[in-house]
Amino acid sequence: MSANAARITISGLGKSYGSLNVFRDINLQVGDIEIVSILGPSGCGKTTLLRAIDGLLPYDEGEVRIEGQLVREPLPGVAMVFQHFGLFPWKTVARNVAYGLELARAPKAEIREKVPYFIELVGLKGFEDCYPYELSGGMQQRCGFARALATEPNVLLMDEPFGAIDAQTREILQFELLRIWNMRRTSMVFVTHSIEEAVLMGDRVIILKGRPSTISDVIAIDLPRPRSRETLQSPRFAQLREQVWATLVDDVKRAEFVLNPA
Amino acid sequence: MNALMSHRWSQVLLSIFTGLMIWEIAGWQFNSAFFAPVLGSDTPFANAIAQWIAGLFGKTIAEPHPGTVPKLISMLAAADMREAFWEVAGEQGWIAGVQRAVEASTLLKAVSESIMLFITGLALALLIGLFLGMAMARLPNLRIALEHYILALYSTPMAALIPFILAIFGFEFWPKVLVVFLFALFPILYNTLEGARSLKPEYVEVSKAFRSSEWRLWTDIIIPYTLPFGLTGLRQGIARALVGMVASEILLNPAGIGDVLVSRSQAFDMAGVLAAITIVTVLGATLMASVRGFENRYVKWRNAVR
Repeated sequence: MSANAARITISGLGKSYGSLNVFRDINLQVGDIEIVSILGPSGCGKTTLLRAIDGLLPYDEGEVRIEGQLVREPLPGVAMVFQHFGLFPWKTVARNVAYGLELARAPKAEIREKVPYFIELVGLKGFEDCYPYELSGGMQQRCGFARALATEPNVLLMDEPFGAIDAQTREILQFELLRIWNMRRTSMVFVTHSIEEAVLMGDRVIILKGRPSTISDVIAIDLPRPRSRETLQSPRFAQLREQVWATLVDDVKRAEFVLNPA
Repeated sequence: MNALMSHRWSQVLLSIFTGLMIWEIAGWQFNSAFFAPVLGSDTPFANAIAQWIAGLFGKTIAEPHPGTVPKLISMLAAADMREAFWEVAGEQGWIAGVQRAVEASTLLKAVSESIMLFITGLALALLIGLFLGMAMARLPNLRIALEHYILALYSTPMAALIPFILAIFGFEFWPKVLVVFLFALFPILYNTLEGARSLKPEYVEVSKAFRSSEWRLWTDIIIPYTLPFGLTGLRQGIARALVGMVASEILLNPAGIGDVLVSRSQAFDMAGVLAAITIVTVLGATLMASVRGFENRYVKWRNAVR
């Protein structure tokens, strides 16, 4: 599927909470320059899958390897952006952005140099000394991006990063993220429940279905990069969105039917 | 800024004036040996004020009465402190001079004894309360094991334990420290624990994702997050530690301010009693205000977040 080498290799991955089997038999490779969107109905375990890839949650079957290394705990060179932002309210924007670098034991001079660079990159220049509660939701997530990007990771894991952000800001940030990714293209796994977002961001859209869920479909997104607002207007985008929708909708309908069997 | 400051000062003055008036009026209304107004009526000036206030209630004051403030000044300067200071300061430096002067004043000596006891007990309570509270945040089993006993002891009147402590440990300095410690510990521990329980799992998750060590998890997240709760507990702890301090000094080996309180009240010297109480009050209020100031300065985020 992707022409380049695989950076993340997931084989036969399965995860249970007691008797509840969340997902099983997940096989996926993510290239070293590729964005993979993971899409699925709510409760399908996409977020759990992402945490298992990161090493935050232990998995029961199969394995995850990043750059050949078996994932049992979060590895260096992998950064995560959270739906809940996860900024520390007692740290300023600059100190939040520096957090990952500090933990990676980066030299002070490097931190002094990189923090302002990444703050500017995400468009937060002038807000270095603000506390997160002084920022809007969108700006807080910009700070979350800067914190993840500052460690210059080879793998970016996105856990519904725009899930808690209003629609307009969300659209702006989607293109911001694409712009930033374009400057330094790496592997990205992007979890979302928005079909449009999955299509806009991804080189492939992975659809999780079933209980326990597994990969039901993989849809290649051949939209040219860099993608912009025009991409949203293109007929190909509409076509792909419909294709993803049709693949997903059966399952959603079935779920609705189970809930309201009228 | 200037206008704001003067506004602030006018508020402070109004507050002080109200306090003085309440004290004076209460004292003279029930004019008896048991009440000691602020200024008394020993000097012509103080007498004029006292007679005026008493006049408002249709009374006059027959006997001259020592007031709390003159009493406090006379007690503080009871011995010749200046002489004591210069006696030593020339040869051994001013620190030794101050020490000698404090020893020369009965009240200051009592206050320094009490503060020693208070600080030791409170510091131990703060250290152990914060550490144990935070440790329970990370070790759920420790929390499950201790939680209910902490709550039970928090609601136990600590004064009831004093005879028990007296029987087991005696009545010297360290048993008294134990009393102060027990009075102060539980509000600090309980508030820290409540804070630790409310620590959002997201923060821990983020730190794990960034490969934090356990040590860095404490210094980056658990301590900064829990500290404001501990400080709220500390403010309550200060008030309770003062109660513990006075109670232990009255009920165990009489010493310090507690001793002054007992001996003065036995001599029916209510101005003296109130003078000693004033010192405890000022000490407590100052400490609580400084903790509050520290909170406002360094943990601003908490008010904004919750």
